[in-house]
Amino acid sequence: MLRSPSAVVLFALSPLLAVAQSPAQSASTPAAGPAIASLQILPRERTMRARDTLRLRVTALDASGKPVPDATVRFFAAGGYFEGAVQPDGLIRSGSTGTMPITVSATRPGQRPVVEKLEIRMLPGPAHHITVGTNVGTLAIGQRMRYSATAFDEANEKRDDRVLWTSSNPAIVQVSRDGLASATAAGSAVLKATAGGITRDVPVTVAARRIASLELTPASADARTGDVIHFAARPKDAAGRVIEGLTPIWSFSPGQGIIGPDGGFVGYDQGTYTITASFGTQTAEATVTLAPRDVRRPLEVVGRAPRKAFTTEEVWLHPNGKVAYLGTGSGGDRFYTLDISNPQNPIISDSMVLNTRRVNDLMTTPDGMFLVNTREGASDRKNGIVISSLADPLHPVKIAEFTEGMSAGVHSAFVYAQPKFGTHVYATNDGTGAFHIIDISDPYKPRQVAEWRTQRPEAGRSLHDVDIQDGLAYLSYWNDGLVILDVGNGIKGGSPSNPVLVSQYKYDLNDLYRQVELSGGPGFIRGTHTAWRHRNYVFIADEVFPSSGVQGAKDASAGRAYGRLQVIDVSNYDDPKPVAFYEPEFGGVHNIWIAGDTLYMGAYNAGFRTFDISGELRGDLRAQQREMAHLNTGDMDGFVKNAAMTWGVVVRDGLAYVNDMYNGLWIVRMKPKRGITP
Amino acid sequence: MSRTVTTVALLGACAAWATGSQAQALARAAAPVAPEKTYTIAVASEATDEIAIITFGPNGASVQAKIPIGLSATDPDGPHGLAVSPDHQFYYVSTAHGTPFGNFWKLRASDNAVIGRVTLGNFPATAQITPEGHLAFVVNFNLHGDMVPSDVSVVGVDDMVELTRITTCTMPHGSRLNPAGTKHYSACMMDDMMVEIDVASFTVSRHFMLTKGKEMGMSGAPAAMASGGQHDMSGHGMTAPAAGDPTCSPTWAQPSADGSRIYVACNRTSDIVEVDAASWRMLRRIPAGDGVYNLAITRDGTKLIATNKRGRSVSIIELPSGRELARVATQRRVVHGVAVSADDRYAFISVEGIGSEPGTVEIIDLRTLRTVATVDVGQMAGGIDILR
Repeated sequence: MLRSPSAVVLFALSPLLAVAQSPAQSASTPAAGPAIASLQILPRERTMRARDTLRLRVTALDASGKPVPDATVRFFAAGGYFEGAVQPDGLIRSGSTGTMPITVSATRPGQRPVVEKLEIRMLPGPAHHITVGTNVGTLAIGQRMRYSATAFDEANEKRDDRVLWTSSNPAIVQVSRDGLASATAAGSAVLKATAGGITRDVPVTVAARRIASLELTPASADARTGDVIHFAARPKDAAGRVIEGLTPIWSFSPGQGIIGPDGGFVGYDQGTYTITASFGTQTAEATVTLAPRDVRRPLEVVGRAPRKAFTTEEVWLHPNGKVAYLGTGSGGDRFYTLDISNPQNPIISDSMVLNTRRVNDLMTTPDGMFLVNTREGASDRKNGIVISSLADPLHPVKIAEFTEGMSAGVHSAFVYAQPKFGTHVYATNDGTGAFHIIDISDPYKPRQVAEWRTQRPEAGRSLHDVDIQDGLAYLSYWNDGLVILDVGNGIKGGSPSNPVLVSQYKYDLNDLYRQVELSGGPGFIRGTHTAWRHRNYVFIADEVFPSSGVQGAKDASAGRAYGRLQVIDVSNYDDPKPVAFYEPEFGGVHNIWIAGDTLYMGAYNAGFRTFDISGELRGDLRAQQREMAHLNTGDMDGFVKNAAMTWGVVVRDGLAYVNDMYNGLWIVRMKPKRGITP
Repeated sequence: MSRTVTTVALLGACAAWATGSQAQALARAAAPVAPEKTYTIAVASEATDEIAIITFGPNGASVQAKIPIGLSATDPDGPHGLAVSPDHQFYYVSTAHGTPFGNFWKLRASDNAVIGRVTLGNFPATAQITPEGHLAFVVNFNLHGDMVPSDVSVVGVDDMVELTRITTCTMPHGSRLNPAGTKHYSACMMDDMMVEIDVASFTVSRHFMLTKGKEMGMSGAPAAMASGGQHDMSGHGMTAPAAGDPTCSPTWAQPSADGSRIYVACNRTSDIVEVDAASWRMLRRIPAGDGVYNLAITRDGTKLIATNKRGRSVSIIELPSGRELARVATQRRVVHGVAVSADDRYAFISVEGIGSEPGTVEIIDLRTLRTVATVDVGQMAGGIDILR
């Protein structure tokens, strides 16, 4: 492509000024006069109202406290890019609540800059409305219920006010200042939540009919750890009629587990639990006896293909099940083809050398006729994707590449065919964080049909991985969490050339991984890394590395991964909910594969792991003993000695093809459950 | 951190040709002579996330240590720019890749310990420290982002705090300060211009249009970055231009030893534009090798050394004549950076290599104009500077 002449024209119209360079003082030579010793920054109160402006005024002072006349003072935002902006002259424009870190510097030629970091807290405006978190409008006589509420400003920014509660009719409902209500007599009352000078009314009716009995179903249950048991409380009057609209308070003891406001209970330890539903004067109890889940299975390593010339990246299997493809990284300029027709003896049959230094991802078309691989680190920096013919699956032949707009490199690519739309590559862009859709229905002539990206400033936009099922693309969008797009499903009228947002689930990564910052310092690596749709759940896994390793350590001991797998219930795309999680005690969570009711995971330092994900999922999957198997994929002859760095897995015909960054390919079988002899 | 001693090579017969008869005679007559003192060089390998510390002395050249650099254990961080502090106590490395922003690292030269880091913009690349040692200027190349104006970060290196970003142009690339430390010059790879920053005020003071036949200097910042998005990346200097293409595609701006001239490498037209700093006018275009890329100048101001990215060679140009004294072939492809020893005796050249080829540091004797040693380092060797 030739340079556009329009640019030249524009610059030619700029005022031409061949100016003589003014004599400049050497920056190496300190300017004459007093040096800057400190900064006086006003106002001293470091708070402002959100969506308002605040001007900082700074005076550079010398050692005697006198202003330094020739100091240049600058202001620069050191974070909070989404919450506000700082002008070089010190005017702060707040866009929302939050904290605005600001660097103030004062300089003179040749002198060390005097720098001060400060933080401006941007606080919500006056209270505008109150929302009530307890959605209970009917109480039974004698019932106690804790009400909660939160105050917000006009822009719906949450305030920190303590909400105080009163009752319009204490004879009907008494309420403590903190919102603990007690229904004492039939009738109506209005609970008033007051904060910041405003009030929100919460009408409460106390049912006239007294609860004479309370039925809890099931009255008893036998299950295993990790099974979700739904309890229902049915309060009845003296006539035995069910009183509708009442909500109990749920609790259980002893043991570990969780119970939700809907009565869904899951226990983590074997044993007998008592579940209690309480309406104050009336309680009912049920008993649950949990047996061990007993899903542990022995493993067998069926075959090995150790690699250590480069790190090993993605593994993929040809649809014929007889050929595997293995990417390389850390300077790796190739991918390997392996004959796995005998899994006990995988044989490297060929390799394709490309202009790249990483083949992070590769995948065949569903018909097995073509293979797409990603490139990062090409010497010409064009990168993009490469398409190869698999006329002979063991010996791929490059037929095309696509690099336009993807010169930064492609980290992940998913090949997906839809009868209505053809075959496309859904790829990530390392540089822009954009999602590219490339039509390879004619694989010799790939062409881009769409590009999509999250609507946010460029800061922090990063797309890491793509999974597509049933015409829905599940994008692991790092800081933007899980993003679901319609790329042909039709739920939102989307297609490959017109991807349409369906849903998004974001979460606070900094809060989730506080311990990583505490151990390795701020600025660590963390983001939504991979996703897999299964039933009404999307399993998402984060990639997390500390910003510094263990001081004095090296190789395998120097660093470790962290991370959490979350299970998101997407039954309602408008309200995706996290329901369960897994987090290894040591190691991370990287790529996953789900087959049947089993989840297979490459967990970086935590090796290869499998999990029972049958039934409804809630709570801590590890605590529930849902882990089925574990293999440490370290090898004394690995790229890094005796250290697991398990990347991911592909499952086919009962065999797990596990790739490890340091150690190549493992072919593993989960053996039948072993009986326990008392 | 690992300590390795690898290739030791004192080359007796490297491929080099000289354009001047005197230089040819020099090259023929001079046998390689081992240096009497030991030089220590740091070079960044972008593909392997490591810094190689190399010594070159009486016993040849060897890698003394490899320093891992970066945040991610699994994804490349891409160390690109490397700059040594004027007092040689510290060196600084820019890592280009992130999510999406890169970082600027401070390491102590005595033990290679990381002692500071600050996050900068998109693809921090070429870096240099001001002569008094307090500031670093780092271009945010934004190679991989959209074709929009990017900026130059100014870092207070004592505290490792980013003080400001100065918007310049699309893809600010190779940059250098003048010897006085008062002006910073950077090449705008996709806008065909050079931008001058006034160090005292942290503002763009002038810019210079470099398109062949349309060269002109202008005051102030570029009026608009209208060419953003109009460009083909052209294989980042590796793809040959079309015949007659007047586009400079500048990749490096190098002030002369006295600061009176600025030399700008035009990667596409394979020549070097010489600009008079005072009048802000072009003086001449000096022919160089194919795909001239990075530049360095000897402290005595007599030689301009230019890496030729496509040409697999290094041009050594005599100043002020502009005559190419020699064009020295490199062992591997994709010639990248150059640093000149403090005594002007040797030029240390970083060569990226392609694919899984190692990177290379190739050492040219600036008296004999011949390569006297090479040493393999990690793949995609780029940023290079002299530690001592």
